[in-house]
Amino acid sequence: MSILSNILKKKQKKRQNDNFRQMQDPGKPDELPIHRDYKDNIARIKEEYGNSTDISYREFKFCGSRGIAVYIDGLASNTLISDFFMETVTEEVREMVTDSFQQMIDFTAGLGNVESITNWNEVHDAILVGNTVFFLDGFQKALSVETKGWEKRAISEPSTQLSIQGPKDSFTETLRTNTAQIRRRIKSPNLWIESMKLGTVTQTDIAIMYIKGIANEKIIGEVKERLNRINIDGVQASGFLEQLFEDQTWTPFPTTHHSERPDVITSHLLEGRIALVVDGTPFVVTVPALFIQFFQAPDDYYARFDISTSIRLLRILAFFIALIGPAAYIAGTTFHQEMIPTTMAIAIAAQRENVPFPAFFEALIMEVTFEILREAGLRLPRAVGQAVSIVGALVIGQAAVQAGFVSPVMVIVVSITAIANFSTPVFTMAIAARLIRFIMMGLATILGFYGIMLGIMFMTIHLCSLRSFGVPYMMPIAPFNIRNQQDVFIRFPIWAMKNRPMFISKGNVVRTGENQKPGPPKQDEDQSSQGDS
Amino acid sequence: MKRYLLLTIYVFFLLPSLTACWNQKELTDLAFVMAIGIDKGKNQKFDVSWQLVNPGNVSSGQTGGGQGLPIAVYKSSGDTITEAARRATKKISRRLYYAHTNLVVISEGVAKTDLLDIVDALDRDPEFRTTTEMVIARGTSAENLVSALTNLDKLPVSKITKEIKSTQNMLGENMSVNVDDFISGIISSGKEPILNGYLLMGKKEQAQKAENLQSTKSDAYLEANGLAIFKNGKLKGWIENNNARGAIWILNKVKSTDINVEWNGKKDAISMASIRTKTKVSVNFKNGKPVIHIRIEDEGWISEANTAIDLTNPKVIEKLDKLVEKEIKRQIVNAVKAAQKKKSDIFGFGERVHRADPKLWNKLKRNWNEQFARLEVNVEVDSYIRREGIRTIPFWSTMNK
Amino acid sequence: MEKAKINASQLFVLVVLYEMGSAILVGMGAGAGQDAWISILLGMTAGVLLFFVYYCLFLYYPDLPFTSYIQKITGKWIGRLIAILYIVYFIYGASRILRDFGELLTTTIYTSTPLFVINTLMILTIVYAIHKGFEVIARVGEIYFAVIYILAIGGFSLILFSGLIHFENILPILENGWKPVIKTFLRETFTFPFGEMIVFTMVLPFLNEPKKVKMACIGGILLSGINIAITAVINIASLGTDLFVRSNFPLLTTIGKIQLANFIERLDVLFMLYLVIGGFFKIAIYYYAAVAGAADIFNFKNQRKLGFPIGVLVLFSSVTIASSYAEHIREGLDVVTIYLHWPFQIIIPCMLLILAFFRNRKKKSSPS
Repeated sequence: MSILSNILKKKQKKRQNDNFRQMQDPGKPDELPIHRDYKDNIARIKEEYGNSTDISYREFKFCGSRGIAVYIDGLASNTLISDFFMETVTEEVREMVTDSFQQMIDFTAGLGNVESITNWNEVHDAILVGNTVFFLDGFQKALSVETKGWEKRAISEPSTQLSIQGPKDSFTETLRTNTAQIRRRIKSPNLWIESMKLGTVTQTDIAIMYIKGIANEKIIGEVKERLNRINIDGVQASGFLEQLFEDQTWTPFPTTHHSERPDVITSHLLEGRIALVVDGTPFVVTVPALFIQFFQAPDDYYARFDISTSIRLLRILAFFIALIGPAAYIAGTTFHQEMIPTTMAIAIAAQRENVPFPAFFEALIMEVTFEILREAGLRLPRAVGQAVSIVGALVIGQAAVQAGFVSPVMVIVVSITAIANFSTPVFTMAIAARLIRFIMMGLATILGFYGIMLGIMFMTIHLCSLRSFGVPYMMPIAPFNIRNQQDVFIRFPIWAMKNRPMFISKGNVVRTGENQKPGPPKQDEDQSSQGDS
Repeated sequence: MKRYLLLTIYVFFLLPSLTACWNQKELTDLAFVMAIGIDKGKNQKFDVSWQLVNPGNVSSGQTGGGQGLPIAVYKSSGDTITEAARRATKKISRRLYYAHTNLVVISEGVAKTDLLDIVDALDRDPEFRTTTEMVIARGTSAENLVSALTNLDKLPVSKITKEIKSTQNMLGENMSVNVDDFISGIISSGKEPILNGYLLMGKKEQAQKAENLQSTKSDAYLEANGLAIFKNGKLKGWIENNNARGAIWILNKVKSTDINVEWNGKKDAISMASIRTKTKVSVNFKNGKPVIHIRIEDEGWISEANTAIDLTNPKVIEKLDKLVEKEIKRQIVNAVKAAQKKKSDIFGFGERVHRADPKLWNKLKRNWNEQFARLEVNVEVDSYIRREGIRTIPFWSTMNK
Repeated sequence: MEKAKINASQLFVLVVLYEMGSAILVGMGAGAGQDAWISILLGMTAGVLLFFVYYCLFLYYPDLPFTSYIQKITGKWIGRLIAILYIVYFIYGASRILRDFGELLTTTIYTSTPLFVINTLMILTIVYAIHKGFEVIARVGEIYFAVIYILAIGGFSLILFSGLIHFENILPILENGWKPVIKTFLRETFTFPFGEMIVFTMVLPFLNEPKKVKMACIGGILLSGINIAITAVINIASLGTDLFVRSNFPLLTTIGKIQLANFIERLDVLFMLYLVIGGFFKIAIYYYAAVAGAADIFNFKNQRKLGFPIGVLVLFSSVTIASSYAEHIREGLDVVTIYLHWPFQIIIPCMLLILAFFRNRKKKSSPS
């Protein structure tokens, strides 16, 4: 693995320099001042944007001087600007004789946040985010007015992380809507949001959110440092960000967590984690992410503790089934036939009697077929997807068995594995199990259960060596911490979850007050006992 | 480090190509040996019959399943078990697989002479399980027993093993004895092993034919019968019926059984079914000689009363208790006498003496079986009838009025 | 030396896993017959006393591993020589355990698989762990400690419910007097596994609270000793003395006897699960001690570089130290105990302690 990474590193170094220059070109022009003549300004914009058709220009007269408003059609709100010209800039205003620039500032304040800008850098920044820039003839400065107003997707129900009892809203593609959803849930001045831009070309907005006083300063610093190190042309989605700043690339396990549910992010923030909102993605990333976190579904906290504990244990069991299901089948039928109860062994042997493939290939073919089906089902248009799943079910479930290519047990194993795999709440962890499953199958073919056990051993060593932003990945389990066991395998009642996870939030760890255990009012008891006597 | 990693990866990817010759074995390449029958051979020491299962014919649900016979029997001979097993491969297309073997049948002929020569093969092989049941074929060859078909259980082996267990639980005349138990009996100087006997009843030649399964009343069937007594690893004789039950009672393996007693001159008038019984064996020393005390506690209910009797009267019940105690005691004493006659300590009294007084045991050890034959054994039985079913007074009482 | 930090509970867990490692698998103290458990408990008591020798040495040099303070005590050149001998001893220890482990698999389940392959795969896993460092081994230890306990409790209740346990098999106690018990204690149970605590002198400086060394290690020895004794009792009670003595791996035989509900039977794999875990930690810690020692003696800054070569060494010596299992065991009982375990675990540390005592008294008295 390290060989590969070395090769990559070398190539990267070579390319880095020329790439960097290319990236710099379109993104950041110089810091030239704005021209006095507004026509020169227009000419310049037209030249720089290559006459792009989505740039709108509106010439106007204001307080006796001519000017022009420049904005991007679609990003800036057309109606807002039209209203401005229709209602505010009346005949009377046009002919007023005053300091037109100052007057302009006063007038545009009604539109939104107004800023006076002096160089071209700022002009570009303003136009590209959807602001309108007003150039006035005879001034070496311009006005940037916030007129953002593009089409937004409305807040809808989450589509990938469903919950039964939880809130039904989810993040959208707009950064501000997302931060607002979190802010609405945490009404505290201690919720701090810091912004930065990533991507030399795309200039994507990123918001770093954390609760001051709970989040670990060290980790905040580390996050910022890693974000600053990123130098790439574009960050299209939060997935980019995750890959760019995670601790280790050579691992199938996710070391950052993401969610499209504001309630999940809120609870992560309360535990002291740091959230990263990326403009243009409905997924918010939180770090540090620990292994066990990927098995905590939002519903765990909304249902009673005994129920959610058993469901969580079930989920962990399902993860193991997804991991070693087919491998155990291979090991059992090709190495450890003595383990299977006699009648079952005979039944399996009878089923396999006419199957032409060895167990490993049988399993491999079925698993690969299933993975293809699943992938196809994801990509296909919704209308066709149904048809594919029916065909797939028929092919796998019926025809293949009847034709004698695969044994019915194998079909059972594959389906149990697949279903088990879906019960992991976070997709990134589920997909890790999917990948490792194939390695386990290979190991099982070489040496049966011994192979599987070594594989699991290997996996455990790997998991224990991982860190997410300096926090050991297997945190409350290894290194074991008795105080943090309240949300691992057993979810304690909410009133008993007294501490925030260690290492993630330093110092401020106590969550609940004293004597939070609910119960019937104590006075009543006294009264009733008195009544009896 | 890079080079080592490269080497590691290389080795890892090379491994799967080598595995073919290792322990990997596809299910379809295995012949599950369900039972092994061992007879005295004509030319060589042993004739071994291998009962193999035919998976397709046992499991139902598969298309075309359950048509043919569930088992196939092959025979091979050799001077050792291993030799016979290896020779069998000339006749069997698949690898013989012993992990699911549930039964070892030994013919009386082998049991009387060469039994010890087969035990180590069973004990040493890691694939073969020592929890496998061992029985002696009585009055027929092991081969015949192994080749018999049965109609309730598709696999004849599970018929035999389940039968022994259910007899042990319900009647107490046989008990499950596996290879491990047998070996520990052989080794111990203070205990001799026992084994179950098995009979093939009816028309023996019909037993291995499919027609045997076609009729409701099988022409030939298998039946557990008697306990084989060993001495120095050789079959010495048999004890049967009530004596066998007595022996198993002393070994504290009886779970439930029935005892008939006489009432008002009518023989076998009352039948008591035991539901719980417990045996304690202890050793006392009298004049430097060991004396065995057997104490049995038994609880049961009246399952039949074929005479006029007032079962509501506690005094009657008490009387019945006494009668039952007497009957059990008689059976136990008879069993002890039968074993003493054969001079074979199947009850493990010697081990009790060993634990109670290791020093004395060192002296007695050498000719323990002789000592055993003259051993004083006291039997004490406490039996209680707890309830009498869902009728109080039998219809006999009112009929006679 | 690696910059690892572990806490007291991690050390405790490692001690338990290491001591139990292979000791539970092989018939410990079989020479004492049904009194095996007595000699195990004796071994444990002596092991605790012996640990105090190591502990006192540690107190003199709390920041140094064993191989370093040998040089301080006996002088540079003699110290180096002894330290190198110790490294060889550790490598030999690791390869012995690896051999035990491989033999177990090849005699029971993987009868036609070459020993070399089984050992190679195991050592590869361990090399990976060593590569990741001691902290990772400690964390893995915590996870598998829990796994082992769940397995043990599960296995124990299965044995119990199958009605295998006959406590009368343990009687009579001390049938042949104390002589065989003491003999087994001196020849087996004292040095293996309790004397093997010597390996931990290499890792004690990693503990973040040096005060807790005593608690963690002695607690670990006691717990593992009791566990081993319980296992021996269960084995004897369910197999009988005779079968216990005749079995290569009594625990495997005991587990093989489990039969429950006609469904739960033939649980050899459960045993193998324990085997891989136990074997892993025992070999890994021996091996780590060898790597750390070699890095210390030869002044390697990055001890990861040593991991692979020593691993290969362990692998090859594990295959070549004996031609058959019988020879391997015979060597272990006759040669290794007397010529390796006794001097390396007991005699040299005791002498070092005496020397260290005088040396440090001189030091203390000289400035005053």
